Amino acid sequence: MTDDDDLRARLRRADPAADLPTLDTSRLLESTMTATTTTPRRTIPLLTLAAALVLIAALGSWWVLRPADEAGAPTAAPTVTDLTAPGIAAKCVEPSAGQLREAADFAFAGTVTGIDGTTVTLRVTKVYRGAGADQVRVAQAGDVSETMLGSGRFEIGRDYLVAASQGSVLICGYSGEAASPGLEELYLSAF
Amino acid sequence: MDPVNSDDRRLRFEAAAPAVIDAVRRFLARRTDPATADDVLQETLLVCWRRFDEMPAEAVVPWAYGVARNCLANAERSRRRQGRLLARIWRLDRPAAVSAAPDLPDHDLTTAMGSLRAEDAELLRLWAWEELSPSEIAVVLGVSANAASIRLHRARQRLRDELRKAGATAGHEESTEGSRP
Repeated sequence: MTDDDDLRARLRRADPAADLPTLDTSRLLESTMTATTTTPRRTIPLLTLAAALVLIAALGSWWVLRPADEAGAPTAAPTVTDLTAPGIAAKCVEPSAGQLREAADFAFAGTVTGIDGTTVTLRVTKVYRGAGADQVRVAQAGDVSETMLGSGRFEIGRDYLVAASQGSVLICGYSGEAASPGLEELYLSAF
Repeated sequence: MDPVNSDDRRLRFEAAAPAVIDAVRRFLARRTDPATADDVLQETLLVCWRRFDEMPAEAVVPWAYGVARNCLANAERSRRRQGRLLARIWRLDRPAAVSAAPDLPDHDLTTAMGSLRAEDAELLRLWAWEELSPSEIAVVLGVSANAASIRLHRARQRLRDELRKAGATAGHEESTEGSRP
């Protein structure tokens, strides 16, 4: 052994990364190769989000889109609007409270009380932003609802946090099951 | 078909990436806190993917270290500039050169590495931890192989000097390794 070998061996024993646990690289790799042109930082699986943008839902915020001749309509009669999907070209960046605060004109917590075909009815339990409403109806498209955090779709009896902008549900990690990790914290710090 | 995203390119990247990811992860774990390491790893990989065609086939990993090194420097710079809370964590949580790992009894080595110039210490880390040859170190640092070789030689010499000093001050030697015969 030369001096150099000794020195190198001694340094090596002090390597802080010597017992670094192994990492499943496939997800990291996939997210890297999917992100070809947009911002580099993302922590949400991109495939999910790309699929997520095959859009489903439109939120009928009754005061935004109510017909003019129903000026006296009670809050319990929201209207529902169907929007077309923006296509899958869009990509999501990591959700942030600031972005949510900026984008959402309506945000509430609610429990799903009924699903009739593609229409989901939620009983509002708390309004974070926007005018109060007792009930909100959301159009939910068939089976593809990966836009929502959590199970990916509205289910009867579950609690949800939903944010909307101009009558359209905000996805990309901004709406979903109330129990989704981090979602409630996001709402609390945004509103 | 867009040549940038051709299937062939993907396949080649998929083949090369696992080794790069593993190496760069270690590289970052040795030099920053875990959260920053995660961010910079992602960013490094993205740069590698975009600039995959520039990667020298014979020195993929050293080339990736060079990218990671720049990304890490950027991360540190922007963090300092923004003066965020993270800057505090970085100071509190940062692996101070060699001493970071908890069960490292080699205090003399820690002291010696700490008293070296940052460039010298980095050369030695690249040599011992990343196990790079002088010509590979040259790829990382963007210098000539000759310069890397000379600097490495001097850095080793300085580390030995510091080790001797540290050993003399402490009045004992925990092991004979690394000391002169």
